[in-house]
Amino acid sequence: MSGLSLAAVVATAVLTGATLLLLAAVTVEHARRGRRQARDAARRAELTPLVYAALDGDDEDAQAGLEHAPAVLDDLVLDLLPQLRGADRVALGGVLVRRGVVARAAADLSARAPWRRGRAAALLGNAADTAHTAALTALLTDRSAAVRCAAARALGKAGDPEAALPLLRALSRSRRVPAGVIGMALLDLGTPVLPALRAALAAPPSAAAQALAADLLGLHGDLEAAGPLLARAAGRVQPLTVRRSAVTALGRLGSPAATPVLATVLAEPGSPALRRAAAEALGRIGDDAALAVLATAFTDSSAGSSSGDAAVRADCADALAGAGEEGRELLAASAWSSGPLGEAARAALSNRARPREARARTAA
Amino acid sequence: MREFLADVVTTMNWGVLGYVLVLDASMLVLVVVGARTVATTLHWSGAEGLDRVFASPLTPGISVLVPAHDEEAGVLDTLAAVLAQRYPLLEVVLVDDGSTDRTFDLVAERYGLTPVTPRWRADTPVEGEVLSVHRATTGDPLTVVRKTSVKRRSDALNAALNLARHPLVCMVDADSLLEPDALLKVARPFIEDPDSVVGTGGVIRTANAAVTDRGAVLEPRLSRRWLVRIQAVEYLRSFLLGRTTWAGADALLIISGAFGLFRRDAVVEVGGLDPRSLAEDAELVVSLREHLQGAGRPCRMVFVPETVCWTEVPETWSVLGRQRQRWSHGLAQLLWKHRRMVGNPRFGAVGLLALPFFLVFELLGPVVEVVGLASVVVAAALGMLDPGTASLVAGVALALGLLVSTSVVAVEEFTFHRYRSGRDLTALLLAGALENVGYRQVHAWYRLRGLLAALARREPVWTAMPRTGFTTADPAPAEAWEAIRTS
Repeated sequence: MSGLSLAAVVATAVLTGATLLLLAAVTVEHARRGRRQARDAARRAELTPLVYAALDGDDEDAQAGLEHAPAVLDDLVLDLLPQLRGADRVALGGVLVRRGVVARAAADLSARAPWRRGRAAALLGNAADTAHTAALTALLTDRSAAVRCAAARALGKAGDPEAALPLLRALSRSRRVPAGVIGMALLDLGTPVLPALRAALAAPPSAAAQALAADLLGLHGDLEAAGPLLARAAGRVQPLTVRRSAVTALGRLGSPAATPVLATVLAEPGSPALRRAAAEALGRIGDDAALAVLATAFTDSSAGSSSGDAAVRADCADALAGAGEEGRELLAASAWSSGPLGEAARAALSNRARPREARARTAA
Repeated sequence: MREFLADVVTTMNWGVLGYVLVLDASMLVLVVVGARTVATTLHWSGAEGLDRVFASPLTPGISVLVPAHDEEAGVLDTLAAVLAQRYPLLEVVLVDDGSTDRTFDLVAERYGLTPVTPRWRADTPVEGEVLSVHRATTGDPLTVVRKTSVKRRSDALNAALNLARHPLVCMVDADSLLEPDALLKVARPFIEDPDSVVGTGGVIRTANAAVTDRGAVLEPRLSRRWLVRIQAVEYLRSFLLGRTTWAGADALLIISGAFGLFRRDAVVEVGGLDPRSLAEDAELVVSLREHLQGAGRPCRMVFVPETVCWTEVPETWSVLGRQRQRWSHGLAQLLWKHRRMVGNPRFGAVGLLALPFFLVFELLGPVVEVVGLASVVVAAALGMLDPGTASLVAGVALALGLLVSTSVVAVEEFTFHRYRSGRDLTALLLAGALENVGYRQVHAWYRLRGLLAALARREPVWTAMPRTGFTTADPAPAEAWEAIRTS
């Protein structure tokens, strides 16, 4: 047999052997997985009543049973925890503490694999354990972006308002956490962080923190922040992102006191995005003065021919259409005219209702 | 003369063998690296914060764009799946692209469509004439555009893009079913890396024979047709593991047209989808990369392996042939159009790795394989082939191919384990073996024809695939589901 033939035979034998090994592994895994799933399902069925009995709080046998239950209980509790609030969450979190799950997670915060650190952070957040706020805060500068995001979410869920400032600072570090993640974490922390948000609006660690604080104050409907928000919206030297967030927040607050400032922003020759935000905000406020401003801006915008002007025109029309009967009447006057004005009016009137989006806004 | 011919044929034979071994070895590397990445991704399962993405008022809205041409068999299931998405803010824009069947009538009846005046939000060129725009009166956020067809999917998508109102646009085929958390999962990278991520995609799996109920896949099952089973293995290798690996190297070139999410402003900036392309999905990704990376702007394409879109695949050789011819023709168009990116370090791993790989192994692969087969036949005819040596080297190539296919099925079993029955698993393993014998060679022929069509600059024609629709569950789906689970 030549050298080439021998090499081919050896290569074929090695590759075939590897294939057969894989086939055996697949067969074993398939069988094992089936048995494992059946066993876990049976154990879960046994343990679920114990968990609910423990939540009732007066069954000592249940408590004792949980502490010595097999590992599948941890998964069961971890599945349930995110759905619980208040005393129930604390009670189940206590089970995890007593079983050593929380201590192991705390140790895993410094594990080598990013997924271990991320999972540990998520677990501590779900367990609402504020004892580890400092360790979770340290993870906001982790080298893995996914871990930083997990830490931010965990801080939000854990519920310690002290985490607000580190979270806002995390927006502008070199290893930063994005605004969408920080924003949700701060919303999870609830109204106790409003003072920190107001402070961030007044003396921000960064423009990103200021814009996010404005957004969140608007979502909270914090009327105490109306004054600083007005100042940010009106200030032409402010960064555009901050002004836009402040304008949107003023719309969410719904205070008619904001109408003059928003009218000025709407009439500014600058950024169409800012003007569109002002139109939407005026529509949310929806008082007579706001509607009059919108109607005027809508009519005047027919002079502009750029895509930015068209977008502002359309948003004015949408705002009027969404502002109740009076707004729609103002719009209806233009609906039968030809040209871009009539087209925008007709489109706004016929596209007004979007039920699922309306639900989402209400929930927000 | 005979000696010269013998030298040529022998050189070709060895060249082709070497090529096939390198190709299969590359595939094995893609599979192994992809498997490792998938395993790491699955470690995060449950800790990704999807509940926070869903609950957040800061989560960006998504416009789902669904082009439909003669899709009466499955369009209602597709819409049901999209509208049932667990996502806080979405709208669906369906484009009835000149259907000649009951596509529009079925949608109009189910969702009580009423004509509206459209509000166009972009002016991407659209060749077909928009006839009318409708909105659902059932409370569903559904808009339907009726337009004349120019026989190009990209034209329908561009029409939908012009109506999309949200910052993210998701393109979904009208014969595909999204899993309920699909949008949440593919939207997450946009939230966690908003400055860089421009597009994300999920896994495409074969839906033929899967048991569905109103757009929900209750039980993934393998079709009884071997052609579909082989494609199931092929999809796992290329669409799951291959793309996972390419994305890990920041060199993802294809986000499937059946399910991809993009930043709307970026898509509008590159002028929407290329109307001349037959591979408009890959074309969009490469155009975005060329446009953004060329200008020094960040452009990350992310693949989310645990997100699933179920789609119908061809059940006959003729339909498969047309589809693969079109893909190959489209790939040739793409590589020619973006030739300045090939080997260009300015485009990072895309220019240095992905595009050369696609050129050498995907586009030119069928040439080498078909020429190689022909040279073996010629060598045998001229009596230049030593049967013993030929069998041995063919054995090595086959063994390597089998190892790749088995590895793909093994990864599926160890990670996602979607096919629960032993019968399906066995069929998948056998299909992986069969892929190497017959299917691969016929497939090379289809791809070669596509390449030749591109070289001949033949007019690109998008041919619709005949739809069979989804296998629906029995009238009592809950009971059926229980029966399936306990079987």
